[in-house]
Amino acid sequence: MDQSQIRDFCIIAHIDHGKSTLADRLLELTGTVSERQMTDQVLDSMDLEREKGVTIKASAVRMAYTAADGQSYELNLIDTPGHVDFSYEVSRTLAACEGALLVVDAAQGIEAQTLANLYLALEADLEIIPVVNKIDLSAARTDEITLELADLLGVEPDDVLCVSAKEGWGAGEVLEAVVVHLPPPRGQPEAPLRALVFDSHYDPYKGVVAYVRVVDGELVDGQPLLLMATGVTTEPIDLGIFTPQMTPTERLGTGEVGYVATGLKTVRECQVGETLTTATRPASEPLPGYRPVKPMVFAGLYPIEGEEYSALRDALEKLQLNDAALIFEPESSQALQFGFRCGFLGLFHMEIVQERLEREYELDLIATAPSVAYRVMTHAGELLEISSPVDLPDLSTVEEIHEPWMRIQVFTPSDYIGPVMDLVTRRRGVYETTEYLDAQRVLLSYEMPLSEMIVDLHDRLKSVTRGYASLDYTFIGYRPGDLVRLDVLVNYEPVDALALIVHREQAYEKGSALVRKMKEVIPRQQFKVPIQAALGSRIIARETVSALRKDVLAKCYGGDVTRKRKLLERQKAGKKRLKQFGQVMIPQDAFLAVLRLDED
Amino acid sequence: MGEPFATFVIHLHNSQPCDTVRAMTRIRSTPPSHPVALYVHVPFCRSRCAYCDFDTYTGLEFAMPAYTDAVCREIEAAGERWGSPPVSTIYFGGGTPSLLPLPLLRDILHAAQAAFRLSPAAEISLEANPGTLTSAYLHDLRNLGVQRLSLGIQSFHDAELELLGRLHTQAQARAAVAAARESGFRNLNLDLIYGLPRQKLCHWQETLRTATALEPEHLSLYGLAIEEETPLARQIAAGALPAPDPDRAADMYEWAAETLAQAGYRHYEISNWARSGQECRHNLTYWRNEPWLGVGAGAHSWLDHCRWANLTDPLAYIQATAEGRTPIIETTPVGPEQEMGDTMMLGLRLAEGVATDRFRARFGLALETVYGETLRHLQDLDLLTWDGQAARLTPRGRLLGNQVFVHFV
Ligand SMILES: Nc1nc2c(ncn2[C@@H]2O[C@H](COP(=O)(O)OP(=O)(O)OP(=O)(O)O)[C@@H](O)[C@H]2O)c(=O)[nH]1
Ligand code: SF4
Ligand SMILES: [Mg+2]
Repeated sequence: MDQSQIRDFCIIAHIDHGKSTLADRLLELTGTVSERQMTDQVLDSMDLEREKGVTIKASAVRMAYTAADGQSYELNLIDTPGHVDFSYEVSRTLAACEGALLVVDAAQGIEAQTLANLYLALEADLEIIPVVNKIDLSAARTDEITLELADLLGVEPDDVLCVSAKEGWGAGEVLEAVVVHLPPPRGQPEAPLRALVFDSHYDPYKGVVAYVRVVDGELVDGQPLLLMATGVTTEPIDLGIFTPQMTPTERLGTGEVGYVATGLKTVRECQVGETLTTATRPASEPLPGYRPVKPMVFAGLYPIEGEEYSALRDALEKLQLNDAALIFEPESSQALQFGFRCGFLGLFHMEIVQERLEREYELDLIATAPSVAYRVMTHAGELLEISSPVDLPDLSTVEEIHEPWMRIQVFTPSDYIGPVMDLVTRRRGVYETTEYLDAQRVLLSYEMPLSEMIVDLHDRLKSVTRGYASLDYTFIGYRPGDLVRLDVLVNYEPVDALALIVHREQAYEKGSALVRKMKEVIPRQQFKVPIQAALGSRIIARETVSALRKDVLAKCYGGDVTRKRKLLERQKAGKKRLKQFGQVMIPQDAFLAVLRLDED
Repeated sequence: MGEPFATFVIHLHNSQPCDTVRAMTRIRSTPPSHPVALYVHVPFCRSRCAYCDFDTYTGLEFAMPAYTDAVCREIEAAGERWGSPPVSTIYFGGGTPSLLPLPLLRDILHAAQAAFRLSPAAEISLEANPGTLTSAYLHDLRNLGVQRLSLGIQSFHDAELELLGRLHTQAQARAAVAAARESGFRNLNLDLIYGLPRQKLCHWQETLRTATALEPEHLSLYGLAIEEETPLARQIAAGALPAPDPDRAADMYEWAAETLAQAGYRHYEISNWARSGQECRHNLTYWRNEPWLGVGAGAHSWLDHCRWANLTDPLAYIQATAEGRTPIIETTPVGPEQEMGDTMMLGLRLAEGVATDRFRARFGLALETVYGETLRHLQDLDLLTWDGQAARLTPRGRLLGNQVFVHFV
């Protein structure tokens, strides 16, 4: 296809504003996916994506389109995830596009990630096509949101497309706008090959499958390739395009998007951001590439059954092949024995990883409470980086502890400024600025320790603003804090995996809330179980789970035997989900109780 | 028992002597060498009680004659298949067996007499609902040879009876007991339920005192279990009723155990008490994991190392039997390991527990060899005693039975 007939674009939006559904309509209209094969959010192909109705991984697809001008175009679309944990997927995608459809829900309006993703796209020099979606909703405020969006982008309201991805209204205009308003790819067809790896997944047969956008030159099947960052050369198994299934082709020309099955067995050899060039006529300079993503949140993942440790390691390795943001290293705990300290982009990412491990690899896992990475300066002048509260050295040896701080931006109706302010300042947030987008909508900026944020800040924000607020955040740096370790003792034994690092002033409050919560989640056992919170050797809070007195099937006669055995089998399976700690069985929930201290 | 079971283990490894397998190959089953307990399921009730999730139906009384025919036919077929085994107990359970008109009951008993070698001292029990009994009926029952009557009293408080959705009042319950005595029943069981929502210990004490004053030979006390999808479960889920308090139920149980011991009852199973010698022989068969044959819709059987179940829908059951098809829907062979587990799970419910010599006679293995470690662990937890001769639940273990049983499934 002639380069001038190619358009590469992505769809960006706040979570759930209808990106994937809009993609469905475009695929349908261009005949890429037949009606028979169409399902809702067809690009969300992972089980977990389908179940949660959320896009987790960006996906690319090529469409052929004959425009109103009678000409044929090749459109390469990349659908992106909206959740803030996965915003790195968005930034990577942007480098493979000339334009972006910025989708806004006609009922919800502009939200925090609308802004965050828009700024990312502008930084990457993308043309923006504003789209108001879900205009079919009875709660849609189409005119109002159109004006807001036009205002935000400095365009005429007429330039804002109004669509209903669900009903298919306006999808044709979207395709026309893509053809008319977005520039074709700018690369040099005659130059040596430079292809940007913007994503990848691992295939047991084909090795690392790199998702590429050819920036300059062309990729031809059978050519040996050089990976410019790692210096690895490889003879790819095949290359092709997404239709959306992987479909082999002979070549990918300048500006085209597709995949290269590299045959490489580890993602380290072909990382996202890599530049592919031909081994015989290499380019002189690689493409700019990406800043590596840094995990923000850390938690221990432990198999409930000790024997599953090596299965867990294998599973993590495999998962990492598809998820460059996941990191892990072995860790051991007195309470939970052997497991892995894992780093995640956020709690949602953590939840997804845990679910995938449990589901795709059939593991039963316990996750410990998420923590952030602290930097500890000792009197001896050592600098330690710790991502687990257990590793915090004796405070008498510590000069200073630094913790990560974030800038958070809360986008909310102005009616809720008060409650948002309360919530954030209670969590050590420091107010910075208020920007009015219009009379009713404000963008509040704060600085706040990450540790205060990972614990359900998002849910709490939603609840104090009746669901209206949205949140975005970025890392700003490490700052010192007056931090201490809160230990939890179960049946008079400290459980290392339950320890927390907290601000000294919050220790008492958190300790009491924590033991209260633990009392709720630890099931009654055959003996009474005291639960205590301690700072050093000082007990600051205590609760007791009273002993279980009655747990017996009253009746068991002939016909019941099979049924009763099943009930007992279920009870036994339930017990297996608990971790035996001394005489006490502790459920997964207890390790995460710290995430729900604010509920009541 | 003893010898007959000694060959058991080998037997199982060699073949799978299952009913269905035999039915297919037309081989006659080996007649059970041990007497069999016969259970007859009567799946009819006037109305459904609020807590009940049993296999029973309302508004199906019209089908009772056809149902009786079907049961008789099934009994006949079983007699043939198993070679007229000895039968030492018959139990009519339900549902409400006392809804069955006398002639129908008689037909079933006659069919059983014809098909099996019914021992002259056989225990014949019938479950009855105090709300539906008349003196005439009770007299005739006695004359039919039914000697053991189990009355679903549940409570002696009208408010509680109403909450449970029972049809009868406490006055009717007393009258039923009196009428049963008058008709000559010398072996009477009263079923009572404790641990109701809002029930206080004193309410329960009153019910149990009233019950003992009537001097039944046998008492079954059941802690109320809230079964899914029952009206009671829905009321609790909707917040209209508080959930039963398990700690209070434990108090009630402990108080009952003490009181009944003083009154001279033997606590022979977790939920059952009897005057010495008046234990329910039929139910003992279940708890000793010995063979029984169940007939009727939804009935289960345990014979020849297999468990099987009949169609639950009475009309489907009637039709299958009428068309000469088997009403059995599911047959599961039980391997030795599971049979041992079941023997523990059931046997530990009994005061006699599981004795090592019986276990060895049956499985060819010592209890210690198979379960020694588990038994010692449970002994450490004060849930059972294990002296090398027999394993028995402690009083604490009786209240925490499931914590023990899970080790054997
Ligand atoms: N009524 C209505 N609902 C829509 C429309 N478009 C999408 N939705 C619904 O909005 C929800 C979210 O749609 P998705 O397409 O998954 O949104 P998304 O932006 O891809 O979400 P993430 O990828 O998780 O960020 C789904 O329940 C869709 O059915 C629309 O035009 N009208
Ligand atoms: S009488 Fe018995 S079987 Fe019938 S509904 Fe009531 S509890 Fe259930
Ligand atoms: Mg999506």
